[in-house]
Amino acid sequence: MSEFPARAALRLVQPAPVELQPIARFCGHCGNPPTAAQPSTRVCDRCGLGLVLETVVEAAPSRGAPFLVLDTGLMICAMSAAAQRELAVDETEAVHRHVNELLVAADAEPGTRASLADVVVRAARGDGETTTIAVRPAHTFGVFFEARIAPCGPPRAALVVLH
Amino acid sequence: MRFLKTSEAAALLNVSPNTLRAWERRFGYPKPQRSPGRHRLYTYGEIASLRDALHEGLSISSAVSRAREGLTADTHSLVGALTSFELERADVAMEAALALRSLERAVEEVLLPSMDEVAKRQGLDSAPWAFAAHWGVAWLRRAQRLAPPPTRPLSVVIGDATRDDLDPDAAQVRAFELFCVRAGARILSLSARGIQGMGEALAHRDPSIVVIAGNHLPDDDVARWAYNVRLAAGPLPIALFRRGHQPPRVRTTGAQVLPTGALAAQQRLLELVEEFRAAPAAYVDPRDTASDLLPRVARNGGQSSA
Repeated sequence: MSEFPARAALRLVQPAPVELQPIARFCGHCGNPPTAAQPSTRVCDRCGLGLVLETVVEAAPSRGAPFLVLDTGLMICAMSAAAQRELAVDETEAVHRHVNELLVAADAEPGTRASLADVVVRAARGDGETTTIAVRPAHTFGVFFEARIAPCGPPRAALVVLH
Repeated sequence: MRFLKTSEAAALLNVSPNTLRAWERRFGYPKPQRSPGRHRLYTYGEIASLRDALHEGLSISSAVSRAREGLTADTHSLVGALTSFELERADVAMEAALALRSLERAVEEVLLPSMDEVAKRQGLDSAPWAFAAHWGVAWLRRAQRLAPPPTRPLSVVIGDATRDDLDPDAAQVRAFELFCVRAGARILSLSARGIQGMGEALAHRDPSIVVIAGNHLPDDDVARWAYNVRLAAGPLPIALFRRGHQPPRVRTTGAQVLPTGALAAQQRLLELVEEFRAAPAAYVDPRDTASDLLPRVARNGGQSSA
C-alpha cells in the first residue's frame, strides 16, 4: 500500500494575466523620443546630451517639460534642460545632490513632506504607480509644482515631472 | 598606451564625433590629448570607462562622474600604498594609472597629486612623506632612463636648486625633466650649487636654454651659477621653474618664468626656445652681469625689487 495520498497536494496554478503597460522612450535632457523606434544607442540621437530612458506612457514627459530623475537614495541622477532653467541649476552641479536641496514637498499640502520621499523611493524601486503630489523649490515660497512621480529606467529610478 | 582618433572613439561609444566634441565642451570629458598635427587623441581606457558608465547611467553627467571616479581611484590606491610603505603596491597603482592614461597624464594626474596628498596629510617631516618622496623621484628617474633617445635639436641645461629628494619641488623638477626628455630634448641636469668643471660639462652639449628649477637655493647662488653657464656656453635664455613667487617677466632680457605645472612648463619651454631662435636679442643681452640674470625677490615678502 502506498504511503503517498491518492490526490496530489500541489496543483498547477495558472498565473493571472499580466497587463503590459505601453512604454514610452524619452531623452533625459531634451525630453524628446528617439528618432528610431528601436534605438541602437542609449545616447539621444537628437541632442546628444542625454540618455534615452523608458517609462509608462501616462508618466512620460512631454517635449521640453521640466523633469528630474532620482535614485533610491533620493539623489539627483539627471535633469532635463527645462528643469535646469526652472530650478536655476546646471545638471553638472545638481547630479549627486539630494533632491531636497532643490525640491521639497509643499508645506501647504498636509502630510506631503513624508510622502515625497516615500513615493520617490517606491518609484525608484520600480514598484510604485504613477503618483502626483505638490512640491516647491527649496528656499522658495509661493511657487508650487505638481510633481508626477513614476518609475523609469534603465537602471531603475524615479521620474519626477514638474507641471 | 592605446590611442583612438575622434572617429574611432565616437564609434566605440556609438555616438557621432560632434557629440563627443560637445561632451568635451560641456562636461570636460573625455579629455583628449593632441597629436603633433593638433588632432584629438583619446586614450582607450578613458573611452572604455565612459562606455561602461553610459551603459549603467541615467544621464551623461552621472556617467561622466562615474568614469572620472574610476580614474581618481588610482590616486586613492597610490596614496594608500605610499602611506602604508608598500613599494610594490605603489608600482601596481602606477601601472593601473598608465593603463588608462599617457605617461604625462599619469604623472600629472596620479603620481604628483598623490605625493601632494601624502605631504598634506602627513607633513613634510613625516616618515610617509620620506617614503613617498624617494619612491616618486625614483619612479620618475626610472621612467626617464626608459625614454626614447633625443629627436629634437634641443639641449636643456637644468640647474637643480632643490634641497634633495625630500624637497617638495624635487618630484616636480624630475617630472619636468622627464617630460622634456619625452618631448625629444637632451637634458643635462646639474646642481646649481657647484660651478667647478661646468665648462667641460657644457662643451659637448651646446645648450639651447638654461632652466633654474627649485626654490631651495638663494637667488644670489643661482644667479652666479647661471652667469657661469653663460660664460661657458655663450648667451642663452634663462627660464625659472618653481622658484617661488616671481613676477611673470621682470625685464626684457631677464629670466622667463615657466608655469608651475611640469607639463605646462615643458610646453612653454619649447615655445620659448622657438621664440629665442627667431629673435635672440629679445631674450639675451650679452652685457648682463650675474645680478641681472635673475629678478631679486625678497625671500619672505615675495616682492620683486628689480
